[in-house]
Amino acid sequence: MWYIWDLSIVLSALSLVIMLVLIARRVLQERRGRAQIDQRRQLHTALIAFTENRDREALKLVVLAVPAGVAINAGFEFISLLRGEEYDDVLAAFDECGLPALVGKQLEKGNSAERMHAAEMLAALRSENAVASLLSALDRDRSREVRIAAAIALCDLGSLPPLGIALGKVGVAGQRSRRLIELFRRFPPARFEELRDHAARTDAVPFIRAAAIDALARAAGFHFADFFARAAGDQSPEVAAAALRALGLTGHAEAPAILASAMANGDWDVRAAAADAAGRLGLAGLATPLSALMDDEAWTVRYAAANALRSFGQPGERLLRDIAASEVSRSQRTASLILAEGPAA
Amino acid sequence: MMSDWSHEIVLAASILSWFIIGAGLAQTTIYLLQLIVAAYALSRRPPVARSALLWHRYGDVAPPIALLVPAYNEEVNVVESVHSMLALEYPNFEVIVINDGSKDQTLQRLIEAFKLVKFRRPYEEALAHEPIRGLYSSPMTERLFVVDKENGGKADAQNAGINVCRAPLFCVIDGDSILEPDALMRAAQPFIDDPERTIAVGGTIRIANGSRIEAGRVREIHLPNRLLPLLQVVEYLRAFLMARLAWSRINTLMLVSGAFGMFRRTEVVAVRGFTKGSMGEDLDLVIKLHRHMRDAGRKYRIQFIPEPVCWTEAPETLSVLARQRTRWQRGALECFFRYRSMLFNPRYGRVGFLGFGHILVVDVLGPVAEVLGYILIPAFWLLGILSAEYLLAFTSLIFTYGVCVSVCSLVLEEAELQRFPRARDLAVLTAVAVIENFGYRQLNNFWRVKGWWQYLRGNQGWGEMTRTGLTGAKK
Repeated sequence: MWYIWDLSIVLSALSLVIMLVLIARRVLQERRGRAQIDQRRQLHTALIAFTENRDREALKLVVLAVPAGVAINAGFEFISLLRGEEYDDVLAAFDECGLPALVGKQLEKGNSAERMHAAEMLAALRSENAVASLLSALDRDRSREVRIAAAIALCDLGSLPPLGIALGKVGVAGQRSRRLIELFRRFPPARFEELRDHAARTDAVPFIRAAAIDALARAAGFHFADFFARAAGDQSPEVAAAALRALGLTGHAEAPAILASAMANGDWDVRAAAADAAGRLGLAGLATPLSALMDDEAWTVRYAAANALRSFGQPGERLLRDIAASEVSRSQRTASLILAEGPAA
Repeated sequence: MMSDWSHEIVLAASILSWFIIGAGLAQTTIYLLQLIVAAYALSRRPPVARSALLWHRYGDVAPPIALLVPAYNEEVNVVESVHSMLALEYPNFEVIVINDGSKDQTLQRLIEAFKLVKFRRPYEEALAHEPIRGLYSSPMTERLFVVDKENGGKADAQNAGINVCRAPLFCVIDGDSILEPDALMRAAQPFIDDPERTIAVGGTIRIANGSRIEAGRVREIHLPNRLLPLLQVVEYLRAFLMARLAWSRINTLMLVSGAFGMFRRTEVVAVRGFTKGSMGEDLDLVIKLHRHMRDAGRKYRIQFIPEPVCWTEAPETLSVLARQRTRWQRGALECFFRYRSMLFNPRYGRVGFLGFGHILVVDVLGPVAEVLGYILIPAFWLLGILSAEYLLAFTSLIFTYGVCVSVCSLVLEEAELQRFPRARDLAVLTAVAVIENFGYRQLNNFWRVKGWWQYLRGNQGWGEMTRTGLTGAKK
């Protein structure tokens, strides 16, 4: 029976010791926190003074006098406010103080949140070794979020490996992340063809292909319209819908035929994207298939079709009013709702 | 004859004792496992310290979110709550307040404060709910919509909000709760990192009693001044930082709190939304989502993120707390028995075994076994069946283990989140972790057994949740 008492005593003692340690740790942290606030203030003052007098030595003295963690974080926050020559001068001072090397270490040794932040800081600090550190993180880091952050940072530095290789290193699980949309949006125009080639690969993850198409449509516009027109017939609904959305932005000579065909697709997402694109492009010639879509089983499709008709102006509104005045049906109800949208009379 | 009789009593006492000990051991094991898994989860996914970083990182790819705020007789707080929600830091969101047939001036207050005008907005009638009397929009902000509907309860109001909203994600929040400015951005993170699989995300609920609140924001965090909410602070830490984090890690999270949870609309519509009239509509929805996804054979994640904090007001009187706890208990029992076919059903994998097993041990058997223990163990000792030494030794072990579990949840809080600003707060919480084992824990179990009794009698009332209002105003 004594072991039960022993266990109780051990648990009590353990709880007490843990809490005492935590409280002592917190007291120390509070003191350190107060000191850090002063140090940050000191650094910010020195940085502001530097942007006025460009006295690099004075800045370096302050940077080296504060703890590395404070210098890195406060410095990163500050440089995000700077542009042009000022930015380059502060970076040069940071470089001479060895801050990028410390951030490089954080990219290797920190926890996953710190490593992600380190990747972002390295892109901003643009040091000589940044690319090597980031490539290493993309290659080896165990967290896919960190690998994606490294890929985005490398893209910003103009050193992203070929897309297929970079995505391979991010891993299949990471290829579902919306963060990759950001990566694609940051792609330099010189590498758009690479993005298009990846979007065309039928063996690639559909989510990634769709994200690549979205990015191309936003950044490159009509230049890839032929590609979007082809991709609109893709077997993957996700890719086809993205291509239709892209066509809605860029337009294409064959858009009416492509959209009409997509409106009969089995996937509601594709039908909705086609209806939406028709509205954006003002293709009044598609009024008939759009009217048919107003009886679609999916509300999203009905709503997109009705909105497209409304966007055609007078002729579309007239058609909607005719449908609204017809016999009670799904189309009639959708038309009534769309016509009534807005402030109540 | 007398000897046979006493033999049977001893046998019955032994069986009961073993039942109580078995239930206790099962709970103990669960808590221990939760602690280990939660610590691992926090170490694998440490929180991002600064919200500016989140905006920089996720701002461009954050999906649209509709914030659904059911309001019933919330005239005291509703305007301030809506102001604070409109000021949240998220690039693309709309706030939909659903006035669930309030008997007070809730709607009028909103109309006056935001100059609301009647508005027609087409929406999909995907979920059934009580009739909507009118939709309102505000010329002051494009982000705000108010749905005025006939009274149908919280679940019904949320279903109406789901119908009206157009965003692919929606977030439910109580009308009197306060979200941290970056809470949406943090909660949306799993939907950004893994958009195909993530279908629901829950965040931490914290107790705001005692904190300084201005303009719908928690400006200074303080511990509550009164004992009852203080005890609930430790309880909430244990529930959120330990239990939910652990279950989330192994994708067996069974509860995303109705006070703050984010869901993918398509899946919620597929399971017909919140179950109207349910005592535990939040638990019910998550169970339905698990069942739906498992039946469909789809990969999915229901996650808990410890950082997005929603502040709520904890009951300050025993009567209100008792009503809340009996209701929670009835909700858990109702869901357990409604979906009992999932228990230990191999088709539902770890949800059936671990998730439902946890509900069985902690919510269904737990309170009964513990209250039986309070009554029978001293009785056995009085009857001479149990030795005094064992009684004292076991009692001390139960209490010290309870303290240790609470302390460990404080460790998780302190190691990664550190929301309590002063070292003194930690000392106070340590004392509370000890005190709660003497009286509060027993009272809680008594309320839970009362919930059991009410459930068996078919009592479906919610009881009135009297709040003083987070701004301090009485209502």
